[in-house]
Amino acid sequence: MRTEHDILITPNRLHPKGGEVIDRTTTIRFTFDGVEYTAHPGDTVASALTAAGVQVLSRSFKYHRPRGLLCCSGHCPNCLVQIGDEPNVRACTRPVEAGMEVRAQNVWPSLNRDLLSLTQLGSRFMPVGFYYKTFIRPQKLWPLYEHTLRHIAGLGEVHIDTPLGEFDKQYLHTDVVVAGGGPAGIGAALAAAEAGAQVLLFDENPTLGGHLRFTVPMDSSSPPEASKNLPELLEAVNHQPNITVFTDTSVLGWYQDHWLCAVKGTRLFKIRTKSVIVATGAYEVPLIFDNNDLPGVMLGSAVQRLVHLFGVLPGKQVVIVTANEDGWDVAADLQSLGVNVGAIVEERESNACSSPYRDGLINAGVPVFYRHIIVEALGSNAVRGAKITRIDEHGEISPKTTQSLHCDLIVTSMGWTPATELAYMAGGKSEYNEERAEIIPVSTPPGIYVVGRASGTHALDSQIAEAQQIGTAAAAFVGFGEVDGLTAHSPDISKPRRTSERVCVPGNKKRFVCYCEDVTDEDVQTAIAEGYDSIELLKRYSTISMGPCQGAMCSMNTIHLCAHANSSTIQETGTTTARPPTTPVTLGALAGQNMEPVQTTPIHQWHLDHGADMMVAGFWLRPNHYGDPASEAMGVRERAGLIDVSPLGKLQLTGPGVPELLERIYTNQWKNLPVGRVRYGVMCNDEGVVLNDGVCAHLNDETWYMTTTSTGATPIFEWLQWWLQSGWGEGIHLTDLTDAYSAFNLAGPQSRAVLEKLTDRNLTNKAFPYMRVRSAKVADVPCRLLRIGFTGELSYEVHCPSAYALHIWEALMDAGREFGIAPFGVEAQRILRLEKAHIIVGQDTDAMSDPLSANMAWAVKLDKPDFLGKPSLMRISTEGPKQLLVGFKMVDSDVVPDEGLQIVEPDADGRLTITGWVTSSRFSPTLAEAIGLCWLPPELASQDGAPFTIRIDGNLVEARVHHDAFYDPDGERLRM
Amino acid sequence: MWRSHELKKRYDVVIIGGGAHGLACAYYLAEEHGITDVAILEKSYIGAGGSGRNTAIVRSNYLTPEGVRFYDESVKLYEQLSDDLNFNVMFSQRGHLTLAHTDGGVNTMRRRAEVNQIEGVDSRLIWPDEIKRLCPYLDVSDHPRYPILAALYHPPGGIIRHDAVVWGYAHQADVRGAHIHQNTEVTGIKVKKGKVTGVETTRGRIKTGTVLNATAGWASTITTMVDIKLPLTTIPLQACVTEPLKPFLDVVVVSGSLHVYISQTDRGELVMGASVDPFSSYSMAGSLTFLEGIAGHVLELFPALSNVRILRQWAGICEMPPDYSPIMGFTPVNGFLIDVGWGTYGFKASPIAGKTLAELIATDKTPDLIAPFRLSRFEENDLVGEKGAASVGH
Repeated sequence: MRTEHDILITPNRLHPKGGEVIDRTTTIRFTFDGVEYTAHPGDTVASALTAAGVQVLSRSFKYHRPRGLLCCSGHCPNCLVQIGDEPNVRACTRPVEAGMEVRAQNVWPSLNRDLLSLTQLGSRFMPVGFYYKTFIRPQKLWPLYEHTLRHIAGLGEVHIDTPLGEFDKQYLHTDVVVAGGGPAGIGAALAAAEAGAQVLLFDENPTLGGHLRFTVPMDSSSPPEASKNLPELLEAVNHQPNITVFTDTSVLGWYQDHWLCAVKGTRLFKIRTKSVIVATGAYEVPLIFDNNDLPGVMLGSAVQRLVHLFGVLPGKQVVIVTANEDGWDVAADLQSLGVNVGAIVEERESNACSSPYRDGLINAGVPVFYRHIIVEALGSNAVRGAKITRIDEHGEISPKTTQSLHCDLIVTSMGWTPATELAYMAGGKSEYNEERAEIIPVSTPPGIYVVGRASGTHALDSQIAEAQQIGTAAAAFVGFGEVDGLTAHSPDISKPRRTSERVCVPGNKKRFVCYCEDVTDEDVQTAIAEGYDSIELLKRYSTISMGPCQGAMCSMNTIHLCAHANSSTIQETGTTTARPPTTPVTLGALAGQNMEPVQTTPIHQWHLDHGADMMVAGFWLRPNHYGDPASEAMGVRERAGLIDVSPLGKLQLTGPGVPELLERIYTNQWKNLPVGRVRYGVMCNDEGVVLNDGVCAHLNDETWYMTTTSTGATPIFEWLQWWLQSGWGEGIHLTDLTDAYSAFNLAGPQSRAVLEKLTDRNLTNKAFPYMRVRSAKVADVPCRLLRIGFTGELSYEVHCPSAYALHIWEALMDAGREFGIAPFGVEAQRILRLEKAHIIVGQDTDAMSDPLSANMAWAVKLDKPDFLGKPSLMRISTEGPKQLLVGFKMVDSDVVPDEGLQIVEPDADGRLTITGWVTSSRFSPTLAEAIGLCWLPPELASQDGAPFTIRIDGNLVEARVHHDAFYDPDGERLRM
Repeated sequence: MWRSHELKKRYDVVIIGGGAHGLACAYYLAEEHGITDVAILEKSYIGAGGSGRNTAIVRSNYLTPEGVRFYDESVKLYEQLSDDLNFNVMFSQRGHLTLAHTDGGVNTMRRRAEVNQIEGVDSRLIWPDEIKRLCPYLDVSDHPRYPILAALYHPPGGIIRHDAVVWGYAHQADVRGAHIHQNTEVTGIKVKKGKVTGVETTRGRIKTGTVLNATAGWASTITTMVDIKLPLTTIPLQACVTEPLKPFLDVVVVSGSLHVYISQTDRGELVMGASVDPFSSYSMAGSLTFLEGIAGHVLELFPALSNVRILRQWAGICEMPPDYSPIMGFTPVNGFLIDVGWGTYGFKASPIAGKTLAELIATDKTPDLIAPFRLSRFEENDLVGEKGAASVGH
């Protein structure tokens, strides 16, 4: 299987053995920084590169130091690479694909010769937070400095032509979610499922098993359950119909009411569950010592992953630095693979070690240095040796006893910190357990459980026992079995601790606490000495835990250093807040498919076929015009026009309480509106600000039909629902007919003649006067006709079932041909309404406008018992408005001031005071002059013809107040 | 940077809230008025509230003349702040774009541009060609659901290191003699015959005749201690940040229609936020709905970002007055002053709010610049309507 050729190109690949996830029978090719490498299916980018002997995968954020694999579990920043147009990919977890183009990030000019690493030479001048203390003067040079800083910072690149990927979402519902599919998670899932609960089991790795995939359980004291090996556990999961497994899936966050979010590649899962079991394991904690970031210094669990899953070992001569049994496990593991374990450097005394492998390793001749610790990793771009020293009786390191060991791989197994973010997001509380030297959950809210390493339980047998208990408790919590009140589990302290309190070994070179941000332990001391002495301030000042690892590698060590510097305890020092997502997640996955649909009316295609220029109007696309809005407007004035107003909000209200509701919602009177009538109404909020306007028709005894503005359709439906559900709606049914009904406005002096051709209904002015509603068949379809007129002409609003809308539209156009009918768009309608000085809510009004000031006092009845906004409007009525909405004409009738321009008053020095603004303006084709609406101070607005100035392109241009409508002020044409 | 002190029994001035506003006020009290017997009481660590949770955008392109003048003074103070505080607050005037996606939006932007220009603030309406030049990654084509029609361009607007503002003010206030008391929560305020006489804290009592409430999201809870009800709604505001990327986004981009604002920090992260949550709450847990919404909206604007990863989300608490303008100055209780109602626009006003309130405390007179924001405006129906420029206009 392994050929001479393979050995040449993949010198770090070991001989095949069981448990690997790679397929050695196939070889694929990919490139890293332009150089071609080989891999086997199942390899990650990092495992393939490691097999080929590549050690440096990235450069650090600040000093551009070479960095190699550290955690090999997707949690540290050391293997972030660019793959194609995807930035910041964790090479250690991304499966390699044939033809992949992988590149190093943030290097200049190249990964192996990064000139920016020279910044280290000046690092004396760049302590933590140096940028706060430098580049202050002269201030005008700061942008220049900033430009440089900015270009040195940042990691991966976003290419401007990156295509928008395909993403989707899936909703899941379950009784119990188990986050983490290691032995504890599997055990808990099985227990809950056996009790009858539906379980979703998530794991971020390609297969279940957690550390069992790459460690061999050898605990001699294990009870029989512990001997269940991984295949048996997986078999049990496969046969348990109540468990659904999601691999390659990270649970990202817990949100209120057990609302979880998880991601698998491009798919986001949104999960409603009744209970959550956090079985997310623990992060192995790096040791801080001189040059601890050198490529070739790795965590024990990382080495085990590489060796067992991918058959790769990035070294020939290994030094293991440890303070727990895990380190001895690694040593035994490597020894059994024929790897030369050069030394075991054990922090503890010999009698504290209880590893079952100890004697075997010693007998095999592995040198063991008890009560020793590493002080420095030797080498420049990769490990070439380890300097170790003795720990004296006071626990201090003794510089005199240092000795150097030759090696090319340093493995540290110093301890663990539980990965409990999900439990903390859910409101769990933790405490520092001195016995275990870990911060461990001590209480969780109902329904939240923590199990396995996440709860501080490391030994496999204890984990399995605990999992059984927790799984049963979670099932009971959701109704399967009896609740025994168990919420969080205490760690099994009968087993030896796995974590050392020693996190930092002093020295005289750089010792990194935070790999993401290049923060050293000296930086931490400096920051604390400067006053950033609480863990939160320390985090913000040093940026520790704010990088891509989000604290997975650095939080625990930082807390130790902070506590030590402040001479306080770990418990007093506390932790920073855990925030979602637990794992960085793409914007694409969060966004999912584009869920911003465009609404079109049933006439949409007709509009397009007839040359309509479409515009976005809220949710809708509407015809802005069909080529010439001015002549469309003139067509309405002179003949007949048809506009598609289907986007209007259309709400039907039925029930005896409707008149009372309308009295409270609108500012004018409704109880007195007889059947068959239509009335215009304005709605206000509590502050008396205009929310919406429209008409409401009294169709029959208990049925009313309301229209709102197009953009107001949904908000007003919600607004009415709010009040109905607040107790104003007894016996009222509210139905949104906005989509079910379409509507057209047939406007113009000939509109009656057009409509008469299509209906039997008597349309004479006497039988169907202005502001009336009638049911009628139009072109054989039952419709509602509202005789209202936004345009100022005789007009009929035809409301019809949307399925027949196109039929009716075409029938109206056909019928109107002999009268010269033409379709008109939004622009023509805006011109026509402005000629009538009708306002558009949201254009002529803003978030401060009340109806009294907006020239609609006629639509406000302050003598009504109560209505929304009444108290505010009462006061405005008493005190008088501050501004009034009023019409204006330009003195130079050709100048149309843009909407939004300001009305100003210059003082003697030419300084301008703003007195109002232009809300609407158009050149009126009917009047052949510029007209508009504007807000003005009341004293000015109340004088018809009063002059004022508008600032146009910086010049002051004169306009005059115009009272009344510009066109047909008496409204005769509406009533003809 | 700042020292710890025993809580004295009496201070001339007690400022509740160790955020940028309170610390700025302490600094200007000492620097400009020689008032140094000042305690700043912070229930957590300095900058723990809105000062450390905002998206660090500074601008002055508001809608009302009163607002524009006020924020313009703030921008001017920010421009010299590094020098004043001898601490680099990294004010980066990268330019600020507020996008318009509808013709109504274009009109609002024009309205703001005009008001800004009249008040002497650099601000103008620009069109897709120029938008594309300033921000090549924006999709200015007519394909998007909400095409970009125009933008309000405000060159002096930009971003700043928000924590540095807090620390810089804290340091200089400390140097000048103010006492910063962290982990000191106010539990009560003593009022006798309509006048403030003292403050009760978790660390003991303090006598004082002057108390400034500068607690942003918790302002109404403090004000309740003196039986004043403020017209404020308490609402969470959320934000998030991505992993660091090489620089590609120079300007701050805001879209009111899409409820999003986004900028790229000097470290390369994209910082983004949305409009306030739809519900009243004191919860700072954050929601999935927010993340999903903002991701969709950012991709509407920047379709090339779909592979960019969100690193962290968080929330802060806002207290919003009905007219989206702050409430500053005197109250019916003698000696109890407020600096509240800062909604979503408080951080960018820190220097000028601190400076004007220091003047008010020192002179017992309301400076003209903040007179429009007095509490009595609600009784007098003299609101300062900033909703059009403040609601999502970070």
